[in-house]
Amino acid sequence: MSRVLVTGTDPVSRALVAALRVEPWVERVITVDDDLSRPRTLRSVMQGPIRAQAIDTIVHAAPPGSPTHPGRRAHVVDVEATRELLRLAEEHATVRRLIYRSSSAVYHTGADAVEVIDEDHPLELSPAAPQWVRDRVEADLALCAHAGLSRLAIVVLRCAEIFAPGAGSQLHDWVQSRVCMRPLGYDPMVELLSVEDAVRALVAAAGASTQGVFNIPGADILPLSRLIAACRRLDVPVPGPLLHPAYRLRTLMIGKEFRYDMNAGRFHFGAVLDGRRARATLGYAPGHRIWFDGVRDARSRVTGREPRPS
Amino acid sequence: MLPGGARPIGAPRVPRTLPGRAVDHLRRFERARLRRVTVVDAGHGFDIFGMHPDWVAAGVWLTRFFHRRWFRVTAHGAENLPPRGRAIVVANHSGLLPFDAAMLYADVLAHTDPPRVARPIADHFVPALPFVGTLFARLGMVNGTRANVARLLEQEEMVMIFPEGTPGIGKPRSERYRLQEWRVGHAELALRHRAPVVPVAIIGAEEQWPVAARLDWLHPFGAPFLPIPATPVPLPVHYHIHYGRPLSLHDGGGDPDDSEIIAAAAERVRAAVAALIAEGLRARRGVFA
Repeated sequence: MSRVLVTGTDPVSRALVAALRVEPWVERVITVDDDLSRPRTLRSVMQGPIRAQAIDTIVHAAPPGSPTHPGRRAHVVDVEATRELLRLAEEHATVRRLIYRSSSAVYHTGADAVEVIDEDHPLELSPAAPQWVRDRVEADLALCAHAGLSRLAIVVLRCAEIFAPGAGSQLHDWVQSRVCMRPLGYDPMVELLSVEDAVRALVAAAGASTQGVFNIPGADILPLSRLIAACRRLDVPVPGPLLHPAYRLRTLMIGKEFRYDMNAGRFHFGAVLDGRRARATLGYAPGHRIWFDGVRDARSRVTGREPRPS
Repeated sequence: MLPGGARPIGAPRVPRTLPGRAVDHLRRFERARLRRVTVVDAGHGFDIFGMHPDWVAAGVWLTRFFHRRWFRVTAHGAENLPPRGRAIVVANHSGLLPFDAAMLYADVLAHTDPPRVARPIADHFVPALPFVGTLFARLGMVNGTRANVARLLEQEEMVMIFPEGTPGIGKPRSERYRLQEWRVGHAELALRHRAPVVPVAIIGAEEQWPVAARLDWLHPFGAPFLPIPATPVPLPVHYHIHYGRPLSLHDGGGDPDDSEIIAAAAERVRAAVAALIAEGLRARRGVFA
């Protein structure tokens, strides 16, 4: 029997808690809503509920901060808090497993890169990459560097983009607009992960005895233009150089999360995750499709009900 | 694709597309035949590299005029194409623009039953080309990396590789039908994935488009050079495509990590292609005949 702590308050974390509560091997699940970026708060959580409940598995499923507010504070939230969590978990008496929800954004994409990305694919280490991406890579690497050396079993799940509101999805924010601009002449494949599949992968990782890095692919792989059509948005191909200022202006004016510079690579060149390792080791295979019925329903449901027929 | 044109659960309703309209121009039996093209569906009718069966049918429609009328492609030994299972088709490359790849693509589709797509493996700059990269991906082209080709072979698909690469396509007239530097990646993949190699000689392509100049200092969209053709359209040469017997490079149990074994296997393929070229040149009556 296992006692699990889940960080984060986004839809994935909430659905994960609900899913873990019905697992027969889970004795207790607790959640942390506090701001773990403050070392004092993190320490009090580790010495308080985690010790009191004898937690043995931590699932760090909190999504990263907003990409529109880069800077020192964002770095602390995304990287330093993860590093501190790892350090404290290693020193903790009862914690044995740490599961980290990473992202496929850590991988380098481009014309010279492969379309099928396995776990050994080069990471996005370019200094020109946006801070949000660099922070994701740094947090991911901080955990990977300890895997196999720490007494903890560390599992890093590099998830495809979770297409749901509140889950930090850039593409979901992008399709909120009635008009979706994309680079003229390019229509790459994008991969989307449903909340259900993300939760299944996290549950499988929490319940497995293995450790390592795993790609978590989604069940929806489609061209960008098809995604726009599925969300019933107006598809407007625009010459690439105009997109950056146009989306920068949009962010300034209406405060959206979508940043074109973070997505320019994948708006030109497709990349999908190779999930063979997760299938073989965790028994995870994508199974839940996203039900596109206009953007309002473009989130996958966590109730387990089948989507209504069109 | 589900039978009867049904959409899988959750798949979006999409408007009538360009390839859909192009397919309407194909004859009914041809449409029915092309419906049997196998695509490893990644969820929305496309495979993970972006190929779609409607676009493949549109590709047949697009190349039909050149295949039947302009280049009057004649196939020899097409029975050597494996009807199923992984395979690597290896051919000589030339002609300024990859019409030879397009004709081979159309020819393999025409001479296999059920029709098979020989997935063209392209140089890295091709996917970066606007419009062209997307169109080629829909037709089945894949970026030329080892991981991508390995994935296709594991899916039991047929891939089309030109070991001469871009230098082959830009070779001068004086070098025609002389194989350029022969890359060895195809041999390594054949050994590693135990895939038969079908050597192919494309006769005619090397005379199709005389070059007036080659601007080596200009690299549009990452292309290695910009060719200036001497004629506005390719010449209506007669294409002969000779398919050789499949080579089982892996039969000797060669180590795919041994560079000497890989080089020897690649040389075996090169010799087979060169022999087919020599045979094809001897057999043809003229460039346009």
